[in-house]
Amino acid sequence: MALSKHAIEEIKGLPGRFPEVRSAVVPALDIAQEELGYLTPEAMSEVAGLLGIDPGYVEGVATFYTLFHLEPVGKHHFYVCTNLSCMLRGAEAICEHLRRRIGVSREREVSADGLFSYEEVECLGACEFAPMMRYAHAYHYELTPEKIDALVEAARAAETRKPSRAGDGSGRAEAEQPHGR
Amino acid sequence: MAGDVRASLAPGELRGSHGPARHHLLTSLFGTPDLHRLAVYREHGGYQSLEKALREMTPEQIHAEVKASGLRGRGGAGFPTGTKWSFIPGDVPGPRYVVVNFDEAEPGTCKDRYLVEHSPHLLLEGACIAQYAIGSHQAWVYIRGEYDRPYRMLVEAIAELREAGILGPRPFGVDYPLDIQLYRGHGAYICGEETALLESLEGKRAQPRSRPPFPAVKGAWGRPTLLNNVETLANLPWIVRHGGAAYARFGVERSRGTRLLSVSGNVQRPGVYEVELGVSFRHVIMELAGGPPPGRRVKAFWPGGSSAPVLPESMLDVSTDLDELARVGSMGGSGGVIVMDDSHCMVKAARRLIRFYAHESCGKCTPCRVGTNWAERTFERILRGQGTAADLQILDHVQDALQNGRCLCGLGDSAGWVIMSTMRHFRDEYEAHALHRRCPVGECRIEIERVGAHA
Repeated sequence: MALSKHAIEEIKGLPGRFPEVRSAVVPALDIAQEELGYLTPEAMSEVAGLLGIDPGYVEGVATFYTLFHLEPVGKHHFYVCTNLSCMLRGAEAICEHLRRRIGVSREREVSADGLFSYEEVECLGACEFAPMMRYAHAYHYELTPEKIDALVEAARAAETRKPSRAGDGSGRAEAEQPHGR
Repeated sequence: MAGDVRASLAPGELRGSHGPARHHLLTSLFGTPDLHRLAVYREHGGYQSLEKALREMTPEQIHAEVKASGLRGRGGAGFPTGTKWSFIPGDVPGPRYVVVNFDEAEPGTCKDRYLVEHSPHLLLEGACIAQYAIGSHQAWVYIRGEYDRPYRMLVEAIAELREAGILGPRPFGVDYPLDIQLYRGHGAYICGEETALLESLEGKRAQPRSRPPFPAVKGAWGRPTLLNNVETLANLPWIVRHGGAAYARFGVERSRGTRLLSVSGNVQRPGVYEVELGVSFRHVIMELAGGPPPGRRVKAFWPGGSSAPVLPESMLDVSTDLDELARVGSMGGSGGVIVMDDSHCMVKAARRLIRFYAHESCGKCTPCRVGTNWAERTFERILRGQGTAADLQILDHVQDALQNGRCLCGLGDSAGWVIMSTMRHFRDEYEAHALHRRCPVGECRIEIERVGAHA
């Protein structure tokens, strides 16, 4: 699966923003991941080609940063903070509830319908609202089982309203528009 | 892109200091409707300090005020800001940069997010003043990738500044070009370390550099670079307006002014509180944050993020003075105050933090790469009910091997301090787990019993 013309143009425009072209690698990979859902070896090579940088270098950068996915994730991917401030306020129980609710047995496993996955992440810097998580480019605060249920239900409802493209990762751009809280 | 990103910031999100108070040097305007808008910020005196700096002051005068203020870096190391500025060479031709460290990722720290979400222009005004003060025409704000809303707010605020001509060739009619660009991180705690941040900004794997050369001389893209934390820079407008001496009237000894403390964990009113340096943690935790839940006692607290060695309840009267914290074996760090009550297990908490440091170790230097993972496996063994006296010896050995300059950056020391300080103050809990397969608090019981059933 190749990058869209729009993404290619965006990536080609990045190097001009920086003193050196390498600074464009992370923003370019970000554009690719937003479009494809995760970074395939082909996508990383394509980004490398567009920037005129060695593909091995680009992959080296991609593997360093945890926000880059090198394996498929669900169309709705939850980043749940489990570091100390959230752990002290029940993050483990939140994760357990979320796993049950989306039908996975461990983090980074994708639900059978391709819709959901989650990962346990380090401190997200919103400790005064613990336990919390990042989902759909927004923070969700003071999580309870009820709030988790509501988010998952809203995601399912949004998916049934539009033609199902679950599993192929396309449609991600729509799925990850910022949500209200 | 949504129109007004602030529209999604609910009143309940103002959880911490706001409104006028004698010691609210940063937060007095927080809570003002639409403060994130340039027009509103200017109505309340915003950018008057930048205008004053550009029109009435020389860079040397600003530098002198910052030195006189006694301001120390609010990111973690507490290094005197005026001294850091003096490392920037005066005579090197070509570009030089101000880099804002907004990679806030120290566990238990959320104050820079709070600051920027409530007043993005406060940071941007500080970043402009810093550019002028060191002879730079370009600032980069390195913001962690997970901070979606602060990013969008800064994008909008910078667009407002360009439109108003405050960013551009002639701010306030003065022939001194200013510019600010944003760079988003992508998930790596190590980027809070300033040389790792520079590597990341340059598009590399974020592994700390050997020093010297220091960033002041050879920083971003090989150019002289001033790196300061968000809160540090946000103090500049106040210092320029009122003078360094006025700032130094707040605080104690060598810890001058106020600072933002993120108070989280087992307290009734978690939040970001601006305090005058020198107040006690008892005041911060028991009064401002409302103390632990009813019926619970404070067991311990991390005074400056997870990297600051933990202190037991008996040390609640320790002051927020950075030097006093150092004297009692901890540090002011990032100002992230994590409070744990007596229903939680210290060994389990330490295991969680060690897992964090092991995960975030960049892998460049051996003591950290090997030591953090070795420690993590030892903790797992102890909490599975398979610990022995040898495991406690291993932890003793590893914590020492991670410290005292054996690692390239502070991450290794931080991991070592987690083990050292939790074992120093809660050795009995470690022994109960490792030697008697018992969690005194009862929090780890299930884990141990499950293994016991298979034995």
